[in-house]
Order: sequence, then structure tokens, then C-alpha cells
Amino acid sequence: MMAGRHFPSGASVPRLRNLPVGAFAAPVLLLGAWQLACLTGLFPQQVLVPPSGVAKALADMAGSGELQRHVGDSLHRLLVGFAIGAVSGMIFGAALALSRLLDAALSPLFLTLWQVPVIAFVPLMVMFLGIDEPFKIAVVAIAAFFPMALATFDGIRGVPRNWFDVAKIYRLRLHQLVRRILLPATVPAVLTGLRISLTRAWVVLVAAELLAADSGIGQMMEMGRQLFQIDVVLAGVVVSGLIGFLLDRGARWVESRATRWRAA
Amino acid sequence: MKHQLTRWPVRLGIGLIVPLFLFLWWQWQGSAHPSAFAPPAAVASALAELLRNGGLLRDTLATLERAFTGLAIGAPLGVAAGIAMGIWKPVDRLLGPLLHALRQVPMIGWLPLIGLWFGVGEGTELIVVSMSAFFPSMLNSHAGVAQVERRYLEVGGIYRFSTFQRIRFILLPAAMPLVMTGLTQALAFAWISTIGTELLTGAGAGLGVAMQAAQVQQRLDIMLVVISVTAILGFIINQLFRSLRQSLLRWQPAQS
Repeated sequence: MMAGRHFPSGASVPRLRNLPVGAFAAPVLLLGAWQLACLTGLFPQQVLVPPSGVAKALADMAGSGELQRHVGDSLHRLLVGFAIGAVSGMIFGAALALSRLLDAALSPLFLTLWQVPVIAFVPLMVMFLGIDEPFKIAVVAIAAFFPMALATFDGIRGVPRNWFDVAKIYRLRLHQLVRRILLPATVPAVLTGLRISLTRAWVVLVAAELLAADSGIGQMMEMGRQLFQIDVVLAGVVVSGLIGFLLDRGARWVESRATRWRAA
Repeated sequence: MKHQLTRWPVRLGIGLIVPLFLFLWWQWQGSAHPSAFAPPAAVASALAELLRNGGLLRDTLATLERAFTGLAIGAPLGVAAGIAMGIWKPVDRLLGPLLHALRQVPMIGWLPLIGLWFGVGEGTELIVVSMSAFFPSMLNSHAGVAQVERRYLEVGGIYRFSTFQRIRFILLPAAMPLVMTGLTQALAFAWISTIGTELLTGAGAGLGVAMQAAQVQQRLDIMLVVISVTAILGFIINQLFRSLRQSLLRWQPAQS
């Protein structure tokens, strides 16, 4: 990581330059090849549906309102769970970074739990919470909590010690310290943490919906699989990929906007 | 107070307070409602039982085998693809869009589709685990090759290196740190997706399968044993790989 930091990545420069043509040519070619492979009978309909079939499935589901319901339910869970997990993670990380006592008391437990893949908590949580909304929101919250707590902790610990000394000289109160020094200094780390939490939360949510749900993108795919509806499954793959992509891009955009002052 | 807290016995003592408290609470809850809340003693006896009947060993070995087979398939392919894409622009143009499009989908989200194609079983699980190992290896290897310092390549140009020499003596060593980062991530991803696919497909043996079975049978004691084993194994694997990485990259400056 370190070695490359001072040198512009050689690969991304030319790609950016011919963005208008290159960016559209490749996906169009890809879709064309996919369509062609299906039309020529290389893959039978039961194995791979052409893009037009996936588009038709999407249009049908959008027409009946089914697609909106699944996407809406998934996004709702993601939003609520992420808000809970990210905010509590931020508070937890900040508390541990600011208080050595809390750090000593809680970080061993935290680091132990961090070793467990979030997905391994899924059956345990199903036992306690059932398979309804609270379970899915809790899974998302846990997935968002850990990276957020770590990022906030690292962000605050990365603030130079003498900034705290200055705060002490000025006799800043805690809320002033947070607002004037900690918030601006930790924005980049926290935003990166938010992005990682968001994309992790999405991945875990799709997995949780595959396992147990009555609606949502994951459940849509799982039902499609059980009913042998390749087009529905593929539509689910496309939609979940698109949502994941947009979440990541959106978070990156916010990140670059909010940290623009650092580049100068 | 501050000076006290930097001493490790004090830190360890404070660090044990909360877990100890949780443990006592668990014991108390467990003895109050033994059916819903397995007390520590029940978990210990579940562990003993699983060790005696060999179930835990079988599941652990199955999961390890699955994760490492997936890693052995996905990671070399990923490194090869990443390096090829970093060296030859046409390969990047050809494969890049497809791979980046596929990458956007959560790996476990491929499970229904691949399950439809290959049936729910060992093959499907291995494909998903291999894919989870493939992408971080590819991305990091690609970045590693793309970030090689220009002047190294210029020196190679002066010495009239052949393509093979350029790859062997400049690109590979320079990309190595990021390739190793990719492999570390691939290992973690393969491990997590192994547990995830086992949970979802429930086929054969494995820690995820055991978790799923414990959930269906409402056996909290078994569940806690399996989760602990998962956590400990994940930790050990990561540590081993980290030390392997350090010994392989010992020529690197210490800070990176």
C-alpha cells in the first residue's frame, strides 16, 4: 500500500481518459455476447436466460409491484440496521479511544467477538429473535457495528496528542472537544468506516435474507431457485449487484466530497 | 491511574471484569431457564460430547478442507488474472468489465444461481468459496502490478529485459506486498464464505452445517461450542498467515 501512495496508478489514468467510449463499449459488448450465447442455443433456456429475458422478468415484477416490495423491504432493513449499528459503533469506538479505562475493560471482549464472522451469529440470532424483522435488522446492525467502531477508534487514536494538549490549555469542554477537534480530525477515517460498514451490511443482509425471510432481494432469489425460475434468480443477482455498486459509489462520492479540503 | 493502566497485569485484570460479569450473568440466567439458555456447564458437556463422538473434529476438518480447497482454486486464478490484467492492457479491456460487474454481487448472492446450475451440494459450495477467494486476489494483484514504479521498468528497459525477465525480476517482486495483502483477504473471505455457504446449503459435514442443525434442534450449547471453534480457528489461521507474510516480505521496510 505504502509503496504506491506517491505514484499515480498507471492503469487508471488512460482508462479515465477514454471513459465515454470505453465505459459503455465493454458492458454493451458483454450484454451482446450474453444475448448471442443464449440466442444461438449455446446455453439452453433452462440454464441461462438472455439479458432480454432478465429485463422482461424485471419489468414483469416491477409491473406487479413485487420488485418494489422486495427492494423496498431490503433497503428499509439496511437503513434501519445500518443506522443503529453505525451510530452505536461510532459511540463505542469513540468511548474506547477517549477513555483508557474503557479501552482496557472492553477491548479484549470486543476483539474476541470481532474474530467471529458475522454470518456465524445468524443461527444464534434466529434462535433468540426468530426470523422476523428484528432478526434482520440486528444482523445488519452487528455487521455495521464492528467496522464502524474500529474505524472511529483508529481515527481518534490517530489525532496527534498535542492537539489534545491544546484543547486542555483552552479548557475545552467535552462537547467542544468533540465538535471542534475530534469531529473534523476524524471525518476521513469515519467516512471510510461508514463505507465499509455499509457494503458489509448489504452483503450480510442478502445472506440473511437468503436464509430466512418472507421478502427482500435475497428471498426473491431463494424463491426463484426453489421454483426453478432462472430469470428471477438472475434478476435478483443483477439488482443486488446494482444496489451494492450504488451503495459503494455513493459512499465513495460522499467520502471524496467531505474530504476534499485534505487534498490541498 | 494512567500509569497503572499501561501495566499489563492491570490491563488484563480490567479486561477480564466485563467477560467475568457476563459469565456470571450467563450462569445465573442459564440455571434460571436451563431450557432456553444453556448454562456454561451444559456448553462444556456439549463440547466434551462433540469431542468424544468425533463430530466436532469431522465438521472442523470438513470446513477447513472446503475453505482451503476453495482458496487453492480461487487465489492462484485471481493472482494470475490480476497480474495478466496489470501487464497486458488488452486482457484488462477484455476481462475487466466482466470481472468488475460480477464482483458487485455479494458472493453469497451467487448461491441460488449456482445452486440452480449445479445442484445444492459440494460443487456449488466450492465454486462460491473459490469466487470469494478469487476477487480480492485479483484486485490486489492488479493494483500491485499497476503501481510498480516507472523507474524500475525504465531500468529494465535499459537492460533490454525480455517480457519474462520483466515479469520475473521487476513486476512480481514489486507487486508482492499487495499480492500478499490480496491473499490475506482471500483467506479471510474464503473462511467466511465457507461458513456462510455451509449455513445456507446445509450439505455434508462442516461447522456451518453443525450450526444450522443446532439452530433447528434448539441446541444453544452446541451452537456456542461451534461458534467458539469458528472464532478460534479464524483467529489462528489469520495469525499464521500474518507471520507467513512477514517472513516472506522480510526484505520490506518495517513500517509497511
